[in-house]
Amino acid sequence: MSLASLDQERRKREGGESIPWGRWGMRGIALSYLFVLLIIPLVVIFQDGLSQGLGGLWHQVTLPIAWASLKLTLWTSAVMTLINSVMGTMTAYVLVRYNFPGKSVLNSIIDLPLAIPTLVTGVMLVILFGPQEALGAWAQRTLGLSIIFAPPGIILALLFITFPFVVRAVQPVLLSLDRAQEDAAATLGASAWPIFRRVTLPPLVLPLMTGALLSFARAIGEFGAIVIVAGNIPFKSQTAAVYVLGEVESENRLGASAVSIVMIAIAFGLIIVVDLLQARRNQGVA
Amino acid sequence: MRTKTVKLFILVCLVTLLAGCASPAQVPSPTQATSSTAIPAAASTPSGNKQPIKLTLGAYTTPREAYKELIPIFEQQWKQQTGQDVTFEESYLGSGAQSRAIVEGFEADIAALSLEADISRIQDAKLITNDWHQLPHNGMVSDSVVAFAVRPGNPKGIKDWADLAKPGVNILTPNVKTSGGAMWNILALYGAAKRGFVEGVPKDDEAAAQAFLLSVLKNVSVMDKGARESITNFEKGVGDVAITYENEVLVGKQGGAKYDLVIPRSTILIENPVAVVDAYADKHGTRAAAEAFVNFLFTPQAQQIFAKYGLRSPDPEVAKSTASSFPKVEDLFMIDYFGGWKKATPDIFGDNGVYTKTIAQLQGGSN
Repeated sequence: MSLASLDQERRKREGGESIPWGRWGMRGIALSYLFVLLIIPLVVIFQDGLSQGLGGLWHQVTLPIAWASLKLTLWTSAVMTLINSVMGTMTAYVLVRYNFPGKSVLNSIIDLPLAIPTLVTGVMLVILFGPQEALGAWAQRTLGLSIIFAPPGIILALLFITFPFVVRAVQPVLLSLDRAQEDAAATLGASAWPIFRRVTLPPLVLPLMTGALLSFARAIGEFGAIVIVAGNIPFKSQTAAVYVLGEVESENRLGASAVSIVMIAIAFGLIIVVDLLQARRNQGVA
Repeated sequence: MRTKTVKLFILVCLVTLLAGCASPAQVPSPTQATSSTAIPAAASTPSGNKQPIKLTLGAYTTPREAYKELIPIFEQQWKQQTGQDVTFEESYLGSGAQSRAIVEGFEADIAALSLEADISRIQDAKLITNDWHQLPHNGMVSDSVVAFAVRPGNPKGIKDWADLAKPGVNILTPNVKTSGGAMWNILALYGAAKRGFVEGVPKDDEAAAQAFLLSVLKNVSVMDKGARESITNFEKGVGDVAITYENEVLVGKQGGAKYDLVIPRSTILIENPVAVVDAYADKHGTRAAAEAFVNFLFTPQAQQIFAKYGLRSPDPEVAKSTASSFPKVEDLFMIDYFGGWKKATPDIFGDNGVYTKTIAQLQGGSN
């Protein structure tokens, strides 16, 4: 078919002579898919949580045990995000700027936490850091620090699970950076740290924040690893996701949905922020 | 474009995760997944019909080993009596979760659960319509008591409930929100205190019994989802004592686990009900076989096998012949002490229940 006839063909299609089933069909399928898979379940959760109005939802969320579980979830996720931001950026930097044997293997391993069932992650951490295991016993004895069945275990599990997020957000930007600026700064006599802070870091801030927020959003919903490594004691080591499970199992769907809605709202808010950050970054590039 | 895709992927992950948290009962366990695809047996009358049938057993976790031995015996007996082949699909979940799964459409022909309240839930859903209390022993197929597993040689000297409140004792007990066993544990602990079997707690002094409950709860370090997870954690070396079913400890010891059984002076008699789930058995046309299986569980032969796996027999004859395996309890009380499950569930575990109020006091306590 010649180019001209193709063009004609297209004009015919866009001219609305017949209903463009192909185009609308695809949109229809994609949108219904999204609707069935995402929107409807979300609506159901919101319907459940709001079945007794906003007051009912607020009451469920502010029950002392529910509130404590949300607070624990948020502060452990925040600590994880801080550590992850620093270490993730450093890991990305090392992977991009240095050469060492095994680098490509290491680069592939970074994504593995996405593929490991988080339950298995939990079991591994208990085997490694449990109070009866060598490392865990050592920490308990010398540092007086309980890791497993306490908040540090939660943070460790979250760090493991969200490991790729910051690295994978920062790495491509770091790769695309023009090193001439760093070289120029070095020629002008700047030493390594100021170069990193003033030249290398600024363009990394946006991707870093994207990665950090995504890891935070991912962390607040984590269940599989947490239920194994945290003691799940109300007020001490019970996170929001584990609390939700308890409420479902004891047939308090309102309570379960209410706390879920708060978690969804936080995650969704963060994803919108990520969206805005990304839009800004794209503008900056263009 | 790439980041957009990544973002969408993560959003999908998040939402599925959150949605998953909200309804774990609908996530099929491996055993359920296989059984849900099972072809329903032919719906014609079982008598004279030589087509093989399949029975689905929805059970709680702790009698798993006993059923592994019981089922082949029944399959053989049924074949001899009727000439029909019967096979089993087995699913083992925490009692409450299993009960909810059955209510939500897991088509088990037989429900074997930890506590009566979980059978009642299925009755309330109109899936069990028979009067299962008409079965022998009021429909209770096995008994146990709440006991302790302690480290070999009992280094912390845990002999009775009072020892659990001592400072520095690290206790495991499952979460009452998810585990039937955990509810039995709390009832045993609170009941023993209220009945005057804890030093320093006067008989029938509810406030003192509740204070004692709080002091024990403060020593709990891990609340697992179910009794089996809890004892597994204990086997891994966590904690000084696990409050659990006596049969869990006995089965664990049979399997080579190194811990000792301690039976407190006063404890609750755990009674495990079994019932045919009428709606599903009729739908599958398996009623005759399902009823035969339930009746088989009450025979002395089956009761001996339950006893072999650490469960006390409600059958007086079998109980007598297996008495040597089961230490006598000084003060054994029943759920009736709390007015039955219908009353105990709200009184102890409801929004204003004793346990709920006590756990709220953990706030601002230790840590």
